[in-house]
Amino acid sequence: MFKYVFNFMGSIGRKCLNFISLLGHFFLFFTQTLSWIFRPPWYFKRIFSQILDIGYFSLPVVGLTTFFSGMVLALQTYNGFTDFNNETTVARVVLTSITRELGPVLTGLMVAGRIGAKMAAEIATMRVTEQIDALGTLGTRPMQYLIAPKVIAAVICIPFLVMIGNTIGILGGYVIAIYKLDFNPNIYLYATVDYLQWIDIIQGLVKAAIFGLIISMVSCYFGYYASKGAEGVGYATTASVVISSIMILTSTYIITALFFG
Amino acid sequence: MKRNINKKIVIEVNNLRKSFNGNIVLKDINFKLFEGESLAIIGASGSGKSVLLKNIIGLLTPDNGSIEINKTNIVNLPRVQKENLLQDLGITFQHGALFDSLKNWENIVFKVKNREKLSNKNAEILALSIIKNLGLEPKILNLYPSEISGGMQKRIAIARAICGNPKILLFDEPTSGLDPVTGSLIDKLIITAVKTVGGSAITITHDMSSVCRIADKVILIDNQTIGWSGTPKQMLKSKNSKIQEFIKSTNPNLFK
Ligand SMILES: Nc1ncnc2c1ncn2[C@@H]1O[C@H](COP(=O)(O)OP(=O)(O)OP(=O)(O)O)[C@@H](O)[C@H]1O
Ligand SMILES: [Mg+2]
Repeated sequence: MFKYVFNFMGSIGRKCLNFISLLGHFFLFFTQTLSWIFRPPWYFKRIFSQILDIGYFSLPVVGLTTFFSGMVLALQTYNGFTDFNNETTVARVVLTSITRELGPVLTGLMVAGRIGAKMAAEIATMRVTEQIDALGTLGTRPMQYLIAPKVIAAVICIPFLVMIGNTIGILGGYVIAIYKLDFNPNIYLYATVDYLQWIDIIQGLVKAAIFGLIISMVSCYFGYYASKGAEGVGYATTASVVISSIMILTSTYIITALFFG
Repeated sequence: MKRNINKKIVIEVNNLRKSFNGNIVLKDINFKLFEGESLAIIGASGSGKSVLLKNIIGLLTPDNGSIEINKTNIVNLPRVQKENLLQDLGITFQHGALFDSLKNWENIVFKVKNREKLSNKNAEILALSIIKNLGLEPKILNLYPSEISGGMQKRIAIARAICGNPKILLFDEPTSGLDPVTGSLIDKLIITAVKTVGGSAITITHDMSSVCRIADKVILIDNQTIGWSGTPKQMLKSKNSKIQEFIKSTNPNLFK
């Protein structure tokens, strides 16, 4: 009986220790990568191609998700606030929710799924086929050549994606408000612009940049330390998406709390 | 094959020992590679030849012992100095390790192009000049590694290793998977690289006839350590049972 209890405790303890050592390892990777970002040479072509991939090619996914979220938000606000369902309320709820939370978080999650998985799979494949080892022997530092451009591009791109996503989301709300709820377009638009707060937008962009850091760092980490074989690549991909999604949702709370107490 | 071998040591391995999670793979490994010398490493599959090579290029850290490249111990050497030393090395990995997101010519000139800031055009010309000696057609330069055959990939990897004429060449099974004609082409290439450029080479191989062609010295890895070493001539007459097995199973004619 006691044996089982002890075994159970032991396994919890081991899990905790593993987790702490993973955290330490990740932190080391994080600081190392950061330090490479600020040291020459910079691979501008690689940064650019990553920007294209993360920024440009994510637009459809991000646009679609935020558009429908804006629409659903307008509809639910209208249904939920039956007592004060006027232009101003709906416009404000849509605006605030999107700029503060939904825009950044949805964009972050979509990019984590699309780009994070890709980064992790790419780097993990390079690890298991010894391409990363080869890079090191060919006068290049793998972290600087492979990972730094991805991190730079993600931190630059995701704020832009969020801005675009915000706009499309608000547009989605507008479409529902005008064409389904028969609101007055002028009043709705006026309420939106009137209620637009810089702090919300800035907060959203800060979140976006941090999500960019999280997604790229976590994905590259799991890819970089992938173990051998196809299974290692699969594990790296799954782990990077799951962990970066969790970290996005955790950090959005922390940042919100910091900004708005 | 007689060549003038200097007394200058380019690689010296002393008391190297390497284990993975307590399993000893290599122990008491001692050897020297002189300038202008071609060394062949043979040994059964799984005997630790690739591990030895990876220790030499700093991808693995030995548990014990020293590895000197040009008289500098690379074990625990600070990164920048290690990078400088490794600049002089041309390496092929057993499985090629070509960059699959880059075209073949970009693979070949990867190091030199970055280092010397070559233009694309000059870099392509350089790549072309290298593959000419490898029996490859120019048109594959603009393909990706995944679009060419395994033997071609092998040769692209060799081209990448010798591009820029590094002084020390390390080949992990450069001729495995190649037809005999191409294989002997690669052998000639190794000889040329060592003879004309004044370089030195370590070649891991299972091909005993290749050993006889390219090597000045042979090392057999057996039982986690160097089981036998000597010249190819001595090897052919050796009474060492492992060596005899090796020779008999590849080419009985060699043994006469
Ligand atoms: N990263 C590693 N982790 C654990 N064990 C390893 C690792 N790399 C190699 N080994 C072990 O070391 C031993 C030697 O492997 P190595 O790849 O050097 O063999 P080899 O002599 O090159 O064989 P082959 O001729 O088949 O290429 C093997 O038993 C292998 O399991
Ligand atoms: Mg091997």
